[in-house]
Amino acid sequence: MNAVSTTRKAPPGLPGWARSAETGRVLGTLALTLGVIAWAGGDLFRQDLAFLGATYALLALGMYLPFNLAGTLSLAYSAYVAIGGYAVGLVGTKTGWPLPVAYLLGALASAALAVVLGFATRRLSGFYLAAVTMLFGVAFQSFLLDAKDITGGAVGIGSIRPLTFFGGELDRHGFIVLTLLIVWLVAVAIDRIRRSPFGVTLQSSRDVPAAVEAAGVGVPALRLVALGVGAAIASLGGGLFTTANQTIGPDTFTLSLVMLAIFMPLLGGQGSAWGAVLGAVLVVELTFNLQIFERSGSLIFGVAVLAVLLIAPRGILGYTGQAARFLRERLTRTSRTPTEGAGR
Amino acid sequence: MTGTVLLEGTGLGKSYGGVRAVDGVSLRLSAGEVLGLIGPNGAGKTTLVDLLDGAQPADQGTLSIRGRKLTGPPSRRARSGLARTFQHPHLALDLTVRENILLGAAAPALAGVGGLLRGLAAGAVRPAGKRFDAVVRQVAQALELGDLGRRCGDLTLGEQRLVEVARALAQRPSVLLLDEPFAGADAAGITAIADAVRAVRAEGCGIILVDHNVDVVASLVDRILLLRTGTVVFDGDPAECMASAEMQDVYFGTGGENVVA
Repeated sequence: MNAVSTTRKAPPGLPGWARSAETGRVLGTLALTLGVIAWAGGDLFRQDLAFLGATYALLALGMYLPFNLAGTLSLAYSAYVAIGGYAVGLVGTKTGWPLPVAYLLGALASAALAVVLGFATRRLSGFYLAAVTMLFGVAFQSFLLDAKDITGGAVGIGSIRPLTFFGGELDRHGFIVLTLLIVWLVAVAIDRIRRSPFGVTLQSSRDVPAAVEAAGVGVPALRLVALGVGAAIASLGGGLFTTANQTIGPDTFTLSLVMLAIFMPLLGGQGSAWGAVLGAVLVVELTFNLQIFERSGSLIFGVAVLAVLLIAPRGILGYTGQAARFLRERLTRTSRTPTEGAGR
Repeated sequence: MTGTVLLEGTGLGKSYGGVRAVDGVSLRLSAGEVLGLIGPNGAGKTTLVDLLDGAQPADQGTLSIRGRKLTGPPSRRARSGLARTFQHPHLALDLTVRENILLGAAAPALAGVGGLLRGLAAGAVRPAGKRFDAVVRQVAQALELGDLGRRCGDLTLGEQRLVEVARALAQRPSVLLLDEPFAGADAAGITAIADAVRAVRAEGCGIILVDHNVDVVASLVDRILLLRTGTVVFDGDPAECMASAEMQDVYFGTGGENVVA
């Protein structure tokens, strides 16, 4: 056994970049994204669902990187999303700055907050990070109500001006296109990061932190980076949602979002960043789009998560991936092709 | 074949409650030298490795690498050229053999917050990490690891040992700490690890080898440090050590200690 193989050879016939699984993933998910854009079209209700789904997807992706990959659980996600939203509210009413500045400021503020909370609890067990961030989320909710001069109190901030794009105002459909493409781009980036040396180090720090330390990467710093990036992504979701609705209040992003953030990646499948996006789509579908279940959406969501975790602990994507592998093995076994190895 | 002093520890000590696990150990490791660390169970071998690597802070004593003070967490010591394996393999079982070795190869590039942020950005642009492939391939070949796409959770304990040694070698260390690398490995694995140790020794790496298996250790090491209840009872030539009264006493004596020869 001297042969060392690192990659599976792709079928011959196409140039290298076109036949890689990576290209398939990127183009396939782009097609799905464009499909959702076409589905939303000019229908206001569908557009609302698409915005909600995009926000949930960014929330889930923001949780996926630090929690599912690095194993650090922050529970202040409602605050991160709200910070992104209020950044848009403040910049969009009190300044003349372009709104993307608000996305950046919100992301930076959320990341800084996540890093500070993570740093304060870095020498304690993961439980303390969860507890401290949860308390912060609760306190932040009160702060939004009390700091009337900044946040507008219980009323919130309304009449936020829309996003302008190359001088012109971006209409609702145009903003859907932009938002969903951003979600696609973030998901592609996170999934590539997952497989990269950085992502491998992140996942190792979840399973064997001592080995990561011994290899030369400081685990506390690694965790803080993951927490900061996750918070920034969730904050971007809040910013885009607020831009779409042109209003934000203390009830826009509630503490229940934290539970969604934890369970969406589990539901869709932790094995890939796309599991987080799929989880978000399913949540929107289950809680809002199924008319029959109008009032019991969250109950159905709870039961669905429970069922998925019991039947398919690796989530829906993990389950379908397993089924696909099984089928492929079956097919190759029955048809032992004589051309095998021709492409080498 | 020995050269300049790489690693030097003086008066290292560590207590747990009232028990002195390591009690005033001094040691010196030169470039191109293999130092065998032997002793019965509970002699303090793994604790000593932890003190060198920084996994546990020492209560007393000083440590230097190439004349410069060696302190801080393991990540900082690794950046000074230290690499280690663990008594019980520490592998990410859901990741592949390649990915576990990649951790060692890529770690130097991910040092510090700047390195982490660069690694994050590079991950989105070039996820394959091709620039580490050559190192991964080379150490995998040296240890005859075969298919690198296998999940580490599917490997035998012996294969996991090989992956762990490969990960440590991928760090390109100047000092390598191997904590019982042969335990659970089959004959081919033992040969592969011993060959890999000889190869890096020839390149000037200093190696500390902890093992119960006195026969394997004796054939591989230049010098032996015999530990008993946290103190060094013999430091010198392997053949002399085997014949010494201390060795007889530690392994075959009537001290009531665990005999694991």
